Amino acid sequence: MQLEPVVVVFLYGLLTAVATGLGALPFVFVRSVSPRAVAYSNAIAAGLMLGASFGLVAEGSERGSVQTFLGTLLGIAFILVTQRLLGEHDLEIGQLRGAGARRMLLIVIVMTVHSFAEGVAIGSSFAGGLTLATLITAAIAVHNIPEGLAISAVLRPQGATIAACAGWSIFSSLPQPLMAVPAFLFVDAFRPALPYGVGFAAGAMVFMVFVELLPEAFEHARRPAVGLLASGSLIAMILFQALL
Amino acid sequence: MDPTLTVLLYSSLAAAAAALGVLPLVGRTQVPKVWIGWANAIAGGLMLGSAHALSGAGVELGPFSVAAGALLGVAFTYGTHRVSDTEDLDLNRLADTDPTYGSKVLLTSFLHSASEGVAIGVAMVINLPFGIFVALAIAVHNIPEATVLCAVLRGRGVGLGTAAGLAMAMNSGQVLLAVTVFAVLSAAPAAVPPVIGFAVGTLVYLVLVELIPESYREAGPTTIAVLTSLTMGVLILLHGGLS
Ligand SMILES: [Zn+2]
Repeated sequence: MQLEPVVVVFLYGLLTAVATGLGALPFVFVRSVSPRAVAYSNAIAAGLMLGASFGLVAEGSERGSVQTFLGTLLGIAFILVTQRLLGEHDLEIGQLRGAGARRMLLIVIVMTVHSFAEGVAIGSSFAGGLTLATLITAAIAVHNIPEGLAISAVLRPQGATIAACAGWSIFSSLPQPLMAVPAFLFVDAFRPALPYGVGFAAGAMVFMVFVELLPEAFEHARRPAVGLLASGSLIAMILFQALL
Repeated sequence: MDPTLTVLLYSSLAAAAAALGVLPLVGRTQVPKVWIGWANAIAGGLMLGSAHALSGAGVELGPFSVAAGALLGVAFTYGTHRVSDTEDLDLNRLADTDPTYGSKVLLTSFLHSASEGVAIGVAMVINLPFGIFVALAIAVHNIPEATVLCAVLRGRGVGLGTAAGLAMAMNSGQVLLAVTVFAVLSAAPAAVPPVIGFAVGTLVYLVLVELIPESYREAGPTTIAVLTSLTMGVLILLHGGLS
């Protein structure tokens, strides 16, 4: 049976989204929710997100540094506004209220938004042939796993179940199949937007790291612990991206 | 010009720039606490931007050696903090006049800028224009870092001129290491990737542990996040425009 090309593109995107859910797996073994465990988790998430943004910016700069920078500014503004909006309402997610709930919602929003750019990358990669597309899709799928890890690192210590961590991780990557299809169909229209997209994602991630994850981490854990965990996971992420 | 002279010139320029850090203290005995936070955030953004540029150049040469070097850089900085008992030290206590505190701040500052000398030296080996770019970024970042140091020194009754002189002196290790690393790596190019990693690891760890934690209390997370991500973004933009 020969599948329609559009269906193939969608399935490839869906595969990468499901891979994000694998990031929740290490947290099967983590049950402790002490403030320090939350802090450590946030430090790891901070390193992973900083590392991911390093990769995004490098990719964006190849296509246009100015566009990437403008995208970064938009990303920062986006988080500032989202944070304001979330701060004004008394948040409640399940049992959770306040800062913890805001952080959870924010990381899911940030990671979801950044998936749009990756969806575009998957879709437009098909223009270079199926082999290239398969390579890029596999790369994005594998690279999604630590992103799911970053999300789960914030959600799990707040009491979210493994299923919820995996579910929200996959949710955050759903823009990938959804964006891959239009990007594939209108590849020429989407390509110029890519540096803005990756810049936006990088700006949002770096800002999220410095405004939410690190302050929280430093509040409940000693500096060397936060520094070691965050720089260790940053280095791992850089290596990981270089090998893909 | 002899490339070693170029390295010497630009790293000395970077060290000398530290003297400008005293300017915000001219005409006042102390700066507002939020300025200290801003200074830390701007310096941190420039260091992260430099780390980004270096890691980008490094992973093309050898990702595993870069990662190994980076872990070593983190471990080394952690180790020096451990040995000097400064791993949890608040480097911004403007009113602390304890002599031990003063010597610890100076020591930390010296080691901090020496590590940045490694970044300048290895960047110069990658190619001179890139090295000059990193040296200038470090030079600019030396100014806010010196402002913080001078504010601490002023709080201890040190005069303006002496504070500016000490700020420059604390950066002498930067010149020494930039020139040494450049000379050694020019002779042993195989060691370039791990040393790039070492520079990246130290830069990142120093930002996380020395600059950022205190600044949150001084200026609040939102301001710190805006300043850090913007200065980092601007530096990356400039780097992208040059290459
Ligand atoms: Zn510095």
